[in-house]
Amino acid sequence: MDVGQLQRQFIDYTASLFREGFLDDQFTQLRKLQDENNPDFVFEVVSLFFDDSEKLVNNMAKALEQPIVEFEQVDAHVHQFKGSSSSIGAHRVKNVCAAFRGFCEQQNSDGLEQQIIAAGGSIPMVE
Amino acid sequence: MEKMGFGTVTSTSKTMKIIDTEKKISVLIVEDDLLIQKIHKAMMTKFGTEVQLAANGKEAVDLFLSGAYFDLILTDLEMPIMDGIEATKQLRSMGVTSMIVGVTSRNQDSEIQAFMNAGLNACYVKPLNAEKVTVVLNELKNI
Repeated sequence: MDVGQLQRQFIDYTASLFREGFLDDQFTQLRKLQDENNPDFVFEVVSLFFDDSEKLVNNMAKALEQPIVEFEQVDAHVHQFKGSSSSIGAHRVKNVCAAFRGFCEQQNSDGLEQQIIAAGGSIPMVE
Repeated sequence: MEKMGFGTVTSTSKTMKIIDTEKKISVLIVEDDLLIQKIHKAMMTKFGTEVQLAANGKEAVDLFLSGAYFDLILTDLEMPIMDGIEATKQLRSMGVTSMIVGVTSRNQDSEIQAFMNAGLNACYVKPLNAEKVTVVLNELKNI
């Protein structure tokens, strides 16, 4: 596979991410911030976002595993996740967070589980 | 509510000074989230401003107490140690007349109004983008 082909694949893939709503205009804005003074900007912010996301999802999972779920705590993590996902242009993640918060407000664990499964996650079985 | 525009400020915060057009605009970004810090810093730097960071409201207040000055303060609302509302109130009571703009994830009218009432010139809902930055910097140059 030559470089030209790889480049076209990359462009097509990125375009599909926008088309399918995974990314929005905010990501385009971030790409514009990358220049010779800041050559690895996009890589750095995306890496930071993935690290943050992992921590936040782990925190949410721990809070949801408690015998008595503190929905305010879950909501606080989701709120932070929504903030960072909207700032990086992770459109679908942001929308899932918004829906999550609705369930937290209703203190609806079943609703939260459905959202997790719908987003492609899984619920660990508690013994 | 997306933003609350410039105009009515409850505390005496009208800046009355000439901005040297040759000197870079100095900006203090007050934000505890490292990812958002990085994004907002890159955005403001791209617009040609000189950026300094503070991780919470207390760091921002301490900077001013130590004699620092900034043309513009961009502040988050929710931060540990001292939040955006408390920091804005303290800065205004210290006589800080710099433009203070809130940038928050909160989007309820009541929450934004409470933030504005602390002494902001304007408040925007995250994310900060080129359009919002342009409005803020134009407003700053017109004062």
